[in-house]
Amino acid sequence: MATDARQLVLADAGSRDLTKLAEYEAVGGYQALARARAMPPQAVIDELIASELRGRGGAFFSTGRKWSFVPKPEQNPNPHYLVVNADESEPGSFKDNEILARVPHRFFEGCLITAHAIESTHVFVYIRGEYLGPFEVLRAALDEIGARQDILGEVTILLHRGAGAYICGEETALLESLEGKRGQPRTKPPFPAIQGLYASPTVVNNVETMATVPPILELGAAEYGKLGVKDSIGTRVVSVSGNVVNSGNFEIENGVTTLRELIDDLGGGIADGRELKAVIPGGSSTVILRADEIDVGYDFDSLLKLDTAMGSAGVIALDDRCCMVQLGVRVSEFYEHESCGKCTPCREGTRWMTAILRRLEAGDAIQSELDLLLSVCDRINGKCLCPLGETAAVAVASYVDKFRAEFQAHVDGGGCPFGDDSPLHGVVAPVAQHTLRRTAEAPA
Amino acid sequence: MAAELVRLTIDGRSVQVPKGTGLVETAMAAGIEIPVFCYEPRLGPAVGACRMCLCDVEGMPKPQAACTMTAQDGMVVGTALSSPKAAEAQRATLEFILVNHPLDCPVCDKGGECPLQDLTFRYGAGNTRMTFPKRTFDKPIPISPLIALDRERCILCYRCTRFSEGVAEDGQLIARNRGSQSQIATFGDEPYRAPFSGNVVELCPVGALTSTKYRFEARPWEIQDSPSICGMCPVGCNIHVTTREGKVKRIVSRNHHEVDRGWLCDKGRFAYSHLDAADRLADPLLRVRRRGFEELSWERAVDEAERMLRAAGSRIVTVLSGSETVELAYGLGKLLRRGLGAHAAMLPEEIDIPLEAFRLPLCAIAEAEVVVVLGDEPVVERAPIVDLWIKEARRNGAEVLYELDEERVRGVTRAILVWSGPGGAEVAALAQRLGLADKEGSGAFYLPATANGRGVADAWAAAADGEVENPDPIGLLIVSGDEAASDPNVRALAERAEHVIAIAMFRTVVGDWADLVLPGTSYLERDGAYVNLEGRLQRLRRATIPPAPDELAWIAKLAERFDVELSPHPSLVFAELAEIAYGGLPFGEVGERASLPPPAPGPAPGARPIDSSQQVVARDAGEGLRLVRYRPLFSGPAVERVPELQFQRPQPEVELSAADAAARGIGAGDEVTVRSNGTSVSLRARLSRELAPGVVRVARDHAGDLEPRVEVSRG
Amino acid sequence: MIGPPTAGTPVSARPLAEMIVEIASHYPESRSAVLPALRLAQERYGWLPPEAFREVGEALGQTPAYCEAVASFYDMFHLKPVGRHLVEVCTNISCALVGAQQVLEAFESELGCRAGETSDDGEVTLSTVECLGGCGWATIVAVDHRYRERIKPEDVPAIVEELRGGD
Ligand SMILES: Cc1cc2nc3c(=O)[nH]c(=O)nc-3n(C[C@H](O)[C@H](O)[C@H](O)COP(=O)(O)O)c2cc1C
Ligand code: SF4
Ligand code: FES
Repeated sequence: MATDARQLVLADAGSRDLTKLAEYEAVGGYQALARARAMPPQAVIDELIASELRGRGGAFFSTGRKWSFVPKPEQNPNPHYLVVNADESEPGSFKDNEILARVPHRFFEGCLITAHAIESTHVFVYIRGEYLGPFEVLRAALDEIGARQDILGEVTILLHRGAGAYICGEETALLESLEGKRGQPRTKPPFPAIQGLYASPTVVNNVETMATVPPILELGAAEYGKLGVKDSIGTRVVSVSGNVVNSGNFEIENGVTTLRELIDDLGGGIADGRELKAVIPGGSSTVILRADEIDVGYDFDSLLKLDTAMGSAGVIALDDRCCMVQLGVRVSEFYEHESCGKCTPCREGTRWMTAILRRLEAGDAIQSELDLLLSVCDRINGKCLCPLGETAAVAVASYVDKFRAEFQAHVDGGGCPFGDDSPLHGVVAPVAQHTLRRTAEAPA
Repeated sequence: MAAELVRLTIDGRSVQVPKGTGLVETAMAAGIEIPVFCYEPRLGPAVGACRMCLCDVEGMPKPQAACTMTAQDGMVVGTALSSPKAAEAQRATLEFILVNHPLDCPVCDKGGECPLQDLTFRYGAGNTRMTFPKRTFDKPIPISPLIALDRERCILCYRCTRFSEGVAEDGQLIARNRGSQSQIATFGDEPYRAPFSGNVVELCPVGALTSTKYRFEARPWEIQDSPSICGMCPVGCNIHVTTREGKVKRIVSRNHHEVDRGWLCDKGRFAYSHLDAADRLADPLLRVRRRGFEELSWERAVDEAERMLRAAGSRIVTVLSGSETVELAYGLGKLLRRGLGAHAAMLPEEIDIPLEAFRLPLCAIAEAEVVVVLGDEPVVERAPIVDLWIKEARRNGAEVLYELDEERVRGVTRAILVWSGPGGAEVAALAQRLGLADKEGSGAFYLPATANGRGVADAWAAAADGEVENPDPIGLLIVSGDEAASDPNVRALAERAEHVIAIAMFRTVVGDWADLVLPGTSYLERDGAYVNLEGRLQRLRRATIPPAPDELAWIAKLAERFDVELSPHPSLVFAELAEIAYGGLPFGEVGERASLPPPAPGPAPGARPIDSSQQVVARDAGEGLRLVRYRPLFSGPAVERVPELQFQRPQPEVELSAADAAARGIGAGDEVTVRSNGTSVSLRARLSRELAPGVVRVARDHAGDLEPRVEVSRG
Repeated sequence: MIGPPTAGTPVSARPLAEMIVEIASHYPESRSAVLPALRLAQERYGWLPPEAFREVGEALGQTPAYCEAVASFYDMFHLKPVGRHLVEVCTNISCALVGAQQVLEAFESELGCRAGETSDDGEVTLSTVECLGGCGWATIVAVDHRYRERIKPEDVPAIVEELRGGD
């Protein structure tokens, strides 16, 4: 795995097998934990606030502040919980997969430090059901530290496997799922920090966030603060995929590396000598960028200026063969399939979007349906219970917005100008296939 | 504690409400309706699912779901009335809801009383912008003999499933699949078999869940609703009786928040068709030697009755069902006691239990810290709604005990005692000992076996002018009501009586043991009052004309012949009775939503009944387990005459405490044999956390000839 | 203290109920064990027949209906019978961009069944799935839940061969 920047999360993983406790300790593993436990919990929280670490799961919220919202045990006697979000299911991101598989101990060390900071002795790791490999790595690592009271201390860590539902990455849906229910998001407030798992104070953090905590305590907030750029301090593991030569995860310094460098240098450029057409910068939920828009630092503010986001740091490069309507169909099919079905606009709207996009792709759509598509997106956006529906609408609308001519051509030409030259042509999505698991007749 | 008030602005109107009031209710207070579908406070915390209630809240970029918000001081809210943002949000939601809705209002039972139809009419766009096929399902599918589900009409507000999971806690009705494929279902399409299933029909804001008994029976503009009281159990749920052209078509709740919270059990909701039972009696019958029964006119019937009464004189025993109105019981009592000195009465059970000092509204159970349930019989079978109150209490964090733990009870301020079963004589004494009278929010309830047993006892007592002594031999047995007529003990008594007059609705419950049969009426056909288990006087209203005259009419006629002054009009009879029993309470004050008299010290006037019930269980600690054979909710003359309710009859099960089951190596669902010396029955085991060790429960229907002491073993 | 068994572990002979109760004991509230319990049941039965919901519900104090409601929400639970082997092809954006559809079609022709169906011999069920979180190693094909990376259509015959021949 190539990288140009200083590695924190994946440090030494290239040269040693850090899945082994001994190896990890040989590079100073679990010393940050010892340091943290020597500090009062509040001091650890303050250190994190000072470090300006922001969550790596997508919302990019200050990790230290999130911890500080958790009431002190004397304020709320209920047990406090740390729930780690290892449900990584956002199309385009696969960073947590590699972090868990390669630096499980750094991950656990981060969990244990966090548990100390929020005065919790119960850690749940909700790992997506499909991640069997990473789960087994975690289990082995946990077996190793299980024998080590000095590491685990009073804390119990439970690995809880999901069962296939993207929405369970949303923190409140995740908590519902962890409670043994259908994974449908809760209304907020109350926020998990106040009423989370089993209605008790709960911190939900992303895998990478956890794996970033030990290095922060090692370096200290000040030193860590030298990495990255304003509002996007530190490093980030970025997943690069799609039509690049050299896809994979790259740990970079936020904002120092540009989006174009991610694709052309780290990613080795576009494969098969094709031209870059567009980039999805932060996973399927983010607004797409045209090839001419990507000379910006890969950081929160720079991408915000382009009305998009780092999201879950899943960078997908699309080459010039790709049809944007086909992309819209496939992305919309994904969200239709993953919508939890609780709130109306998302449940019905994503299905409606898919229907219109399919008609466009097939060349059946009339002019007004192109505007209808945008109107439906607009009617979903801002009306949903959780961000799933919203992001689906915003992402798809951005394809039309940035590639309007291409959508127009589908209407005018009564069909797809790309046809099966586009790799996205005729792709069968789960919603479209003869369904396996449904108990009832699929909708007509 | 008086909550602090907050002032906020909705659509420019300033409104003041207690802090924490829901935004939907706050708007209501300002005279503004925020449309909702999924929001239903009785189902627990708002879920914010349907998004119909989106409003524009100042300082928030996105429209907010009003149902999930509470009033905050200084809040500025815009609904669709004043805010374009809110209006657009509402149109959006409505359009999404309608994307898959069949719009078959003309053939929908909900049509005319459907929130979706109304909102579409008010805010909906005239045209559809949808260019793809709607989702279709097989429809309607029966999810039970009582309820039909139309999945195309379902808007997935999840009210029904939230009721099933979070209120009735039966876990039978579920949402299946995910996203746009979500659908309401029961397990593997087994029927929704639970005592409160019918409530989902009322909860459904569209025509997705409908009553199979009401389907296509009437249109909203052709029906009338009479506000009345359910006469099927001692809770006395407040109901609307819907009639069309004089026929009862359905029963819906009339939400008395202290009594029933707007819930009904399926017996109360669906048993109404007993009115039209095939064996319903319209004309009096006289038994003629060898020729069986022959019909006779009311004039002759009254003559016959008079003849039998004179012949028997004071040697009369009257058996009451506990389903009589207080007016009817008083009238009958006055005729017999004052007119003939016939004081002996047999009430369904011991019910003169002086609980007035411990009186509370049922809703107080929800606030209790400790609820103690004693008396062995399943609460849900005796007084179903009380079971829902207890479940709510548990959800609110109350500890529910099925064995008395005096320490726990004394340790808290709000403790409630519920006696479910016969032999409640101890309740008052126990409540006294536990000091429940002096604690705010504490109290005791006794669950009688009959709907108006309490009122009947009071009324019968009020008619007294002499002492009871039990005649032997019995010259005349008067059996009032079908419940009494179908009681085997009463029949046994009838064999011993020289003559029998039976007042009953159904031909087949009165056998040859009756000499004169006078057709009776149902609680749905009467004006009058019942006293529920709280001690609340509630008013029944005649919703439909009975095929036979009101009992009071011919009782008054008879009274005249014995120089007893008795009005045929319930209101006047009540006025007379109230002077004696209810402190002169005027009839008019027994209002639409009756209030509960405050706790009063001292015992009420009570009948000294002959105790018919061998139900009263000997509490001796004998060998083996004590068998409680109870009368199930879904039984009795009315239920037996409603085919759609038969699937609700009790399963062949025996309930055991976890401890007793474990001790015998019995697991839930195991086939077991229940034995008492001589007989045995094989049943399925059900483990119950609502049962004290040492006790097992079997519904009367399945208890066979088992004796009070039994052993239970596997296989 | 570790999590529930994985799809990989051999199906234990212990009674299902016993194992479920054991798992439930690790959670503050036993209902949290519904997902692991359903996974166990699915390992036992190959899919989730009504009995499975009865057993799981019984062991955790939930109704069978509740268990079905939960199971039907998650893609990894099969409410209909599936083949002895499961081949899942990711057809989300990144995999699709590098030819996932061709891989899927290769499987379809090798197995003689379409996505969502099971081969006639009942051996292999073929399915498309949403992003498996391996976009960097596209195309990802999960064979009996084990990821195979960078699969190309020409790799497909060998995989099918392996499944048909193996165990
Ligand atoms: C639809 C949806 C899916 C999400 N999926 C994930 C995920 O797979 N992993 C994750 O860490 N966060 C995910 N999130 C973000 C979480 O809700 C939450 O913000 C995050 O886990 C908090 O951790 P952090 O503060 O460390 O980033 C998702 C959010 C939404 C709305
Ligand atoms: S059936 Fe009715 S109550 Fe149930 S979810 Fe559908 S619309 Fe809501
Ligand atoms: S009523 Fe508020 S979301 Fe349904």
